[in-house]
Amino acid sequence: MHPPIRSYGNSHKSRYTVLLLLLTLAFAIPLSGFAQTLSIPAAQKLVKELDDQSNFPGKDYTALFTIVSEKPGEKQTVTQVRTFRRDTKKQFTFLVMLPEVNKGQGLLREGDNIWFYDPTSRKFTHSSIKENLQDTEAKNSDFTASSLVDDYTVNAISEGTVGKYPVWVLDLKAKTNEVSYDRVKLYVRKDKAMMLKREDYSVNGRLMRTSLFPKYVELEGKLIASQILILDEINKGEKSQITLTEQSVEKLPDKVFTKAFIEQANS
Amino acid sequence: MNKVIPRIALRNLSRQKKRNILLGGAIAFSIMIVTLVNGFTGAFIENVSENFAYLMAGHVFIQGSERTASGKKISAIRDDSIIFDAIANSGIKYKTATRSSEASATLVFEGKSTSQNLTGFDLENSGFLRERLVLKQGTWDAVKAPDALIISEKVAKKLNVLPGDRVTARLQTVTGQNNIADFTIAAISVDSSIIGSAMTYVNLSYLNEAIGLKPDEYTSLNLMLDDLKDSAPFADRLYTSMKGMGLQLFDRNQKNESGSTTPFQAMLQSQNKETWEGVKYRVYTIDDVLSQAKQIVIALDTASTVVLIVLFTIIMIGIANTFRMVMYERIKEIGTMRALGVQRGEIRSLFLYEALFLALGGALAGIILALLGMNILQLINFGMDSPAFLIMKNGHLSFSLPPLRAIGNIAIIAVLTLVSAFFPARAAAKMEPAEALRTLK
Repeated sequence: MHPPIRSYGNSHKSRYTVLLLLLTLAFAIPLSGFAQTLSIPAAQKLVKELDDQSNFPGKDYTALFTIVSEKPGEKQTVTQVRTFRRDTKKQFTFLVMLPEVNKGQGLLREGDNIWFYDPTSRKFTHSSIKENLQDTEAKNSDFTASSLVDDYTVNAISEGTVGKYPVWVLDLKAKTNEVSYDRVKLYVRKDKAMMLKREDYSVNGRLMRTSLFPKYVELEGKLIASQILILDEINKGEKSQITLTEQSVEKLPDKVFTKAFIEQANS
Repeated sequence: MNKVIPRIALRNLSRQKKRNILLGGAIAFSIMIVTLVNGFTGAFIENVSENFAYLMAGHVFIQGSERTASGKKISAIRDDSIIFDAIANSGIKYKTATRSSEASATLVFEGKSTSQNLTGFDLENSGFLRERLVLKQGTWDAVKAPDALIISEKVAKKLNVLPGDRVTARLQTVTGQNNIADFTIAAISVDSSIIGSAMTYVNLSYLNEAIGLKPDEYTSLNLMLDDLKDSAPFADRLYTSMKGMGLQLFDRNQKNESGSTTPFQAMLQSQNKETWEGVKYRVYTIDDVLSQAKQIVIALDTASTVVLIVLFTIIMIGIANTFRMVMYERIKEIGTMRALGVQRGEIRSLFLYEALFLALGGALAGIILALLGMNILQLINFGMDSPAFLIMKNGHLSFSLPPLRAIGNIAIIAVLTLVSAFFPARAAAKMEPAEALRTLK
């Protein structure tokens, strides 16, 4: 028995519907899959973009960092540092403004040498970019030009969320054993090159420090973090909140990047 | 030489016993104080160096420094056979050789943290530590655990830890990477000094793993000698021997032009200016590290000399006045002696001999009193847990008086006394015999 025409017609229609559905799925699945993955080269490019966001080649960068540090059982401390950077020449000068007892201390990068200036002894001594800034959770390297792409390779990529934002979680491995942290995890917004969170790991793979970047400002078309919260994961409760103000890319005189400038700042 | 004048001078001294005992006593007291200070400073540097040598497990130290392609300096000795060959070639003898690694760390325990210098030794077999460290809590058996840590009482109190607690150390590898290591408190040592309390001891292989070295590598070879005094010649001979074997070495005679305070710091600063390939070695002694202690000794010695001068200025006035009084008392006697043919020079000599004998007698008594005092003070046992442990010898105060220093002090006293007595002596010598005999004073 042949099926009625209507019925045939109906069957034909449902076949179209199934075909359409299959076609939709055939296109939709790979498309959705493409949208949810990031290749290693693309991730590497994203890391480069993050570096570029905070670096100012050919220009000078000035900012005032206010760091509020908290340690369990201790009073809150406020440290203020004015930073001057000339990324093209890998130069920087830091001047401590607060606390009053450390006022006048300075840090200067001259080539490969990092100098620390003590106004009490009026002497410059060798220092390291890897040292903590004053008694805070922040390291000197947190205030210098970013070089993630030079120091790390992307090892793994995954997805996650930070707050309400979907993020790429980029797992970076240090290229050499001379980088401060052997492994770093970056949580970068999917919709734009904006880092929301960073985790720093020890050589033996333990989480040492988490940095959160809740606020950004735009400077010369670049997104610059204006607030950073650094949490010590080893000594729970120890944290530093950094607020960046007076950010500028105005040209600075060459003398700013000299020992004499730091000395004169104290006279 | 006329022996009569000194004999008369001696007899004259016994004529006014009370006055001369008081004067001699003042001289003896000042000499005693200065001798005690000199004796203390004489032993100070030796005690500090020797105690430090024990805390650092050596009198002479050898460290290797590697320079990476990026210019970073890594402190490591990866193969020490060539160093031991150099020691053997030099023909010098040492008591013990200890391998150690060091790292600056932040120790964290339940919200509390403190910075410490971690020194890694083979704790189980380190005899010198057992000799010098007094444990307040915990046992030497507990240090056998690989993750054992010996912490000072002060630091333990700061972190609020007890033996058995696990602390986390935040440190850096030799290449400067951040790392974490967990330690178990094996023992708490009695605070021996400010510097001693900053030393925290851990097992070498465990620390090596945390700072990125292999178990058989280390950062410093520490050689203990039979005598601290041999350190500098030993280091010089070792330096020459290592140089002779073609090893690269940092200059041992760095000048402190860079404002560094010790020869060791000068050596470290020169490293920042130099470039090299492979391993370059540093050979230094405990004295190179502790040269600041010598400045303390110089300061103490200078202070004791100032005390001597101040005390003696007062005593000189007393001596000058006494001899002027003596001169007036003996005017008739001087007149008689002059009438009997005693010459002016002999009268002057008589006074000067009296002053000299007074000074020598006082100084000798002072030295004897100082030696007695030293011996009594040396008997007191302050214990190995004394806060002044570093300046003591096995918990006892110790003194070392260089003979030349004692002779020098006596000479100073003698000269100053002669100067004080010279003017009354000259006045006595200038007296006319007839006038002296006529005087009614």
